[in-house]
Amino acid sequence: MRILVVEDDPTLAEFVAKGLQEAGYVVDIAEDGRRGLDLAAANRPDLAVVDVMLPALDGLGLIEALRHRGLRFPVLILSAKRSIDDRVKGLEVGGDDYLTKPFAFAELLARVQALLRRSSSASSEPTRLQVADLEIDLLARRVTRGGQPIDLRPREFALLEYLARQAGRVVSKTMIQSRIWNYSFDPRTNVVDVLVHRLRERIDHDFSPKLLHTRRGMGYVLGVEPGGD
Amino acid sequence: MIEHWRQRMSRAVGLRVAVWYAGVFIITSAAIGLIAYQLLAISLVRRDHDLLLVRLAEYAGTYERGGLPAVTQAINAERASGSRDSVMVRLVGGGAEVQFFSLPPAWRTYDIARLDGRRPYGDDWEQVQSTVDTTTLEVVSRSLWDGTILQVGRTTIERDQFLAQVRDLLGIMIVCVVVAGLAGGIALTRSALQPLRELRDTVRDITETGRLDARVAADGDGDLVDELGVVFNAMLTRIETLVGGMRDALDNVAHDLRTPIARLRARAEGALASARGDDPAARDALAACVEEADRVMALLTTMMDISEAETGTMRLSLSAVPVDEIVHDTIDLYEDTADERGIALSSTAAPDLVVRGDRQRLRQVLANLVDNALKFTDAGGRVTIGAEARGDEVVIAVEDTGRGIPPTDLPRIWDRLYRGDASHAQGLGLGLSLVRAIVTAHGGRAEVESEVGKGTRVMVTLPKSA
Repeated sequence: MRILVVEDDPTLAEFVAKGLQEAGYVVDIAEDGRRGLDLAAANRPDLAVVDVMLPALDGLGLIEALRHRGLRFPVLILSAKRSIDDRVKGLEVGGDDYLTKPFAFAELLARVQALLRRSSSASSEPTRLQVADLEIDLLARRVTRGGQPIDLRPREFALLEYLARQAGRVVSKTMIQSRIWNYSFDPRTNVVDVLVHRLRERIDHDFSPKLLHTRRGMGYVLGVEPGGD
Repeated sequence: MIEHWRQRMSRAVGLRVAVWYAGVFIITSAAIGLIAYQLLAISLVRRDHDLLLVRLAEYAGTYERGGLPAVTQAINAERASGSRDSVMVRLVGGGAEVQFFSLPPAWRTYDIARLDGRRPYGDDWEQVQSTVDTTTLEVVSRSLWDGTILQVGRTTIERDQFLAQVRDLLGIMIVCVVVAGLAGGIALTRSALQPLRELRDTVRDITETGRLDARVAADGDGDLVDELGVVFNAMLTRIETLVGGMRDALDNVAHDLRTPIARLRARAEGALASARGDDPAARDALAACVEEADRVMALLTTMMDISEAETGTMRLSLSAVPVDEIVHDTIDLYEDTADERGIALSSTAAPDLVVRGDRQRLRQVLANLVDNALKFTDAGGRVTIGAEARGDEVVIAVEDTGRGIPPTDLPRIWDRLYRGDASHAQGLGLGLSLVRAIVTAHGGRAEVESEVGKGTRVMVTLPKSA
């Protein structure tokens, strides 16, 4: 899979490119809109991450130009503006999703993957998820670890399901918060910490190895880690 | 409430103008009526007097030429023919003896004796009252050449009756004038105040919806009210420009801060991701950088929200929001946290209450209030969210059994960055400011009651959805 990153800030461009490369994507970087358009035409990427404020040709203009040329791959818009108007404008000209700066890489990756999944729409929905000896039956909503059933409340189940779908990858607090409670603002008490702590009590307390790990400054990850905490 | 007051105010102005108009109209009309009546009465009296003086002069002439017999003959002839109005005629000699007396039979009730014993100087007028009713006999006396006194009199009954009729007519007219004056006054002020009412409606529309592009309709006839509309529109344009400029400035500040913070966060997170197994102290520092960056962003976002809400530039997507839904959402968000801290979190909100507001913003308001309540309540305490209808408003209250707020601090809790208890470094001190700013932007209000050691109750009043 090939991803085009159009971002004039070298620090951010490198940060995004490096993260995406580590996730297994081939990445092209363009530092302005015009170059982005050239690279998109030449390399035919599967997805583009486009900043709104760009020299030469701005992000919205670039997306319009792409759509005008018949390039229909999904576009994730990055912007330092947070007003709804910009969001609406971005989606109107043909963007597919919108992310406000600053952002956690985990959130960018999750959105990129969701957009790619949506555009291929081939993968069938799994009915069972498995992480090490932890098994989740999505239809019966049952969880077992090492064959032993674990009782989870609906909210804990929802969090586990979300983490298991992203198994091995970091999920940020913001992502969990908007996924579980659909709250987009910052509740000052860390409600996510509390919920993660509760889930950990149920699935990790009496078992080994530990599966639910905290990555300080980044978020949480579900999976077996050789040197994890 | 304010609207009700405003309406009463404008009605009071309208009523005052109407009463003034009607008052001036009525007083002027009444004065004209009275003057006309007075003039009429005076001219009627003068006509009657002239009539009597003519008869007096006539009989005096007859007496001079033929003495008493001639007068007697003339009067008897008049009576017999009935050709003239009958009058009272009396001749009194120098020794006060009555020499001749003629009185129409209908006038016998007048106390004629009152005319005795008077020596007139020139033409002397006398009013004689009837002994049975209120009518008057008007008598004029004149001394003749031989000392005899000639008296001619006539009843005023006709004149009095005519004037009474005129008075009745005037009374009816005044009633009509009062009614017409009041009705005219009300109609006039209604039509005169109509453009002002339109102006008021426009202003109200703007303050309620925040739609600054609304304008007053100016009909262009150049009168004072029209001019007011034009001036008002010019003012609105300036306000719109100002608010737009402020909005842009806030957006720019946010944008200019976001970009470097995004860079900082990206660098720290990137380093953290590739620093596995390195020095734990360095990893801690990097993680702290990311967390601080997030905190700064949260602070900036909240400050922007407060500024936007306070300056009226916050974009609210208004809809009918069921209160029990947002209360349920809030409990859902904080249930585990409350449980963890040993605090009972529950709702006593009445069902079927619907407010008009921005759902996300109202959820944020409730979350902030519950967050605060949980923070200042110890284990074993209670936090309750209540909601009830009060008139055409809904009051949502978050009540805790926490430590309470000292009375001296109460007025300051809404201030930015005020923190009642310095030990709670977690809170940014902006929560309540944001609550009040959002609630005020919704046309509602936020109030607080608290008692140290017993608990705090924060009430948010919002307009009911129509």
